[in-house]
Amino acid sequence: MKMEDMSLSGLDNTKLEALAQDIYSDLVEDACLGLCFEVHRAVKQGYFFLDDTDQESMKDFEIVDQPGVDIFGQVYNQWKNKECVCPNCNRSIAASRFAPHLEKCLGMGRNSSRIANRRIASSNNMNNKSESDQEDNDDVNDNDWSYGSEKKAKKRKSDKNPNSPRRSKSVKHKNGELSNSVNADPYKYNYNTGINYETLGPDELRSLLTTQCGVISEHTKKMCTRSQRCPQHTDEQRRAVRVFLLGPSASSLPDADTMVESDCYDASDGQVLMSRLQWDGSSDISPSDSASSKASTNNSDSKKPKKKKKMSLGLNSTGGGGGGSGSGGGSSSQSSLVGQSNRKKKPKLPVPPAPSIYDNLN
Amino acid sequence: MSPAGCSHVNAYKVDNWRQNLRVIYQCFVWSGSAEARRRKVLQNDVRWTALAKSCICHMCGAHLNRLHSCLSCVFFGCFTKKHIHEHAKNKRHNLAIDLLYGGIYCFVCQDYIYDKEMEQIAKEEQRKAWKLQGVGEKYSTWEPTKRELELLRHNPKRRKITTNCTIGLRGLINLGNTCFMNCIVQALTHTPLLRDFFLSDRHKCEMQSNSCLVCEMSQLFQEFYSGHRWPHIPFRLLHLVWTHARHLAGYEQQDAHEFLIAALDVLHRHCKGDTTRDDNGKKANNPNHCSCIIDQIFTGGLQSDVTCQVCHGVSTTIDPFWDISLDLPGSSTPFWPLSPGGDGSTVNGESHLSGATTLTDCLRRFTRPEHLGSSAKIKCGGCHSYQESTKQLTMKKLPIVACFHLKRFEHSAKLRRKITTYVSFPLELDMTPFIASSKESRMNGQYQQTVEVLNNDNKYSLFAVVNHQGTLESGHYTSFIRQHKDQWFKCDDAIITKASIKDVLDSEGYLLFYHKQFLEYE
Repeated sequence: MKMEDMSLSGLDNTKLEALAQDIYSDLVEDACLGLCFEVHRAVKQGYFFLDDTDQESMKDFEIVDQPGVDIFGQVYNQWKNKECVCPNCNRSIAASRFAPHLEKCLGMGRNSSRIANRRIASSNNMNNKSESDQEDNDDVNDNDWSYGSEKKAKKRKSDKNPNSPRRSKSVKHKNGELSNSVNADPYKYNYNTGINYETLGPDELRSLLTTQCGVISEHTKKMCTRSQRCPQHTDEQRRAVRVFLLGPSASSLPDADTMVESDCYDASDGQVLMSRLQWDGSSDISPSDSASSKASTNNSDSKKPKKKKKMSLGLNSTGGGGGGSGSGGGSSSQSSLVGQSNRKKKPKLPVPPAPSIYDNLN
Repeated sequence: MSPAGCSHVNAYKVDNWRQNLRVIYQCFVWSGSAEARRRKVLQNDVRWTALAKSCICHMCGAHLNRLHSCLSCVFFGCFTKKHIHEHAKNKRHNLAIDLLYGGIYCFVCQDYIYDKEMEQIAKEEQRKAWKLQGVGEKYSTWEPTKRELELLRHNPKRRKITTNCTIGLRGLINLGNTCFMNCIVQALTHTPLLRDFFLSDRHKCEMQSNSCLVCEMSQLFQEFYSGHRWPHIPFRLLHLVWTHARHLAGYEQQDAHEFLIAALDVLHRHCKGDTTRDDNGKKANNPNHCSCIIDQIFTGGLQSDVTCQVCHGVSTTIDPFWDISLDLPGSSTPFWPLSPGGDGSTVNGESHLSGATTLTDCLRRFTRPEHLGSSAKIKCGGCHSYQESTKQLTMKKLPIVACFHLKRFEHSAKLRRKITTYVSFPLELDMTPFIASSKESRMNGQYQQTVEVLNNDNKYSLFAVVNHQGTLESGHYTSFIRQHKDQWFKCDDAIITKASIKDVLDSEGYLLFYHKQFLEYE
């Protein structure tokens, strides 16, 4: 059809209709052409067949609509045994009891301060932390564990016999014959968790010694796994060990200041910390009572806290100060330790001794 | 060279080929308008104008028949009659362009080819033309890149979400009185825009630690669309929420509405990394102009007009909101007498028994002009003195997702109780009567039934309902959510079952989530 200038006025109906028909069919043809191009391109570029799905597994995903089962075809109420891992203390908790556990774990419950105070009181009497056991006792009573908790709890108790608080409590009561019996315990503690330096290569030793105390115990011949500021051993001892293991060039310990810098809290650190706490109560974090309270105020997010819980210095404080009562009992006793260790160390930091935090709380 | 291209284009890609190609696209394929086309043809290259007065086949004069333009010289030929083919053979010009859709044909390969660079030019010219035409940006579907194609080919097992598919639905374990959290999570994960945002991986986390709630939300979507059938345990989510919203922490029953607001607030704060840069390249970090996904979806503007009774001067403030809390009849606050809607008329499709309160009634009450008594005189800017006034609330900006909170828990000085009055709510809701511009017609408190609503902007569809059973002190939350347009599911913690629309509409209703039906580009 030639493109001429035509006027429509002089045409009769049939011609008009024919014109309209022409225009319509041209439009349809153009639209079809467009679709053809789309398909052609999709095939040529290789993405046309992406839509195809895997037929058999599609059947697995069909919705079921029958009484007594949910849409997946599963019977109701079979999920009682689900468990999860607490991000704070790293323990396996029954899912349906996770909320109450977390509340205590973070130190937010009604009884948390009571439990924490109890722990401080008892650990103040002993030199060591065996708070993990105490914590378990409380938790067992609260049924935080899964349905098999009784069995588990009993098992744990028996496992812990060599290190159980009962033992050290009895030690504590006979206050006369101290240093031997009391000091015996840390070695007992470390018995299972110390590191045998003979089995490690030089690189491993080097990296280990950058983070741990490393002093070799006379009794067990194993390396202390506590932090570089562990109160049990002196810096001299630590330097000596490094010279012994790595040669005279490797005798430098990192500065106390750098230790402070590395104290920024992060969730993984907290967990590492907590796991350490349970065995050797590393007190990496001594400085930070003030740091922790600063950290917590920076991070406190609630605008109108319903309950004024002064204890909740913010989760960050667990890493920061151990003083933060953030996580249940473990940190509380640790902070008391921190208080003690602060006195032993050179007073570099303007830190109030830990017990004062609890004074505020009380 | 992409697999869809061909080697014969290399002969073409010499000298100033890009510019030449652009000219062809601009003049003959996609011009802004016919006017522009004519003008362009006349203004541009003189060489072109002489010959290219009109697009017709140089051999037969046809202007349809799939006209093609030779890329190497000024020649138009129709495809159907093979005139362009002849030209190609005679002149050895191997490439031609289809003037209707811009596809490039190679006569040696005897097929349309898709060369990456040429397609790039074509796309740019097309966008320019759309802009000139006033069409703006057009939606283009996703196309996989070469790498993505490879990955997809190596992983042929694929799940498609059909209408009868459980993917996207998942139960949530109750962690100990956390049913309120589970219901809100179900509502959020079934918010279409939010789902699209997270599934297309739009969150770029800038938080150092692992405690970003938005990342956890993203993870939650992955869990919901994983196809797993056992219920998910949202313990990390609980931990994060307790960390960031201290006032909610604690093992006790909480209010779902409060949780919703707290969750949105934390998400909003953690979204700072995603705020898009505006055209100046500056990051919009202003809290009043946040453009994070939460604000884009949930934030609306509530206009409060205070009119002085003496001088009739109006002072207006606009506050952002994430939800609308509505008083119910039966509460100790006076409920406005019902207007014509109470006689069983079907406003907004709420054709329930006459006398039952409808959501529209509650909204009408919310937006009515309220006379502030003589004890609450406002300082009027016009009169410069304290005068009595009326206050009226209207919606200045409607959010994409509107959440209505029916205030069923009464905590007044005299009593604390739960109001269980049934409120009927519709599947489709039109918010036009409640927006600020409709206010004038309601100044006197008369509600005018809008005869026709031509504007589709204010139409909403229900997609989630959160219900509470029990008393003020203790109860249980369940939710209904909508999936696949018209399928509803009841979510009772870990148990997901199919529900009928009737079940949903007959339920008591505590939190109602509505989604805008038509979304416009800004």
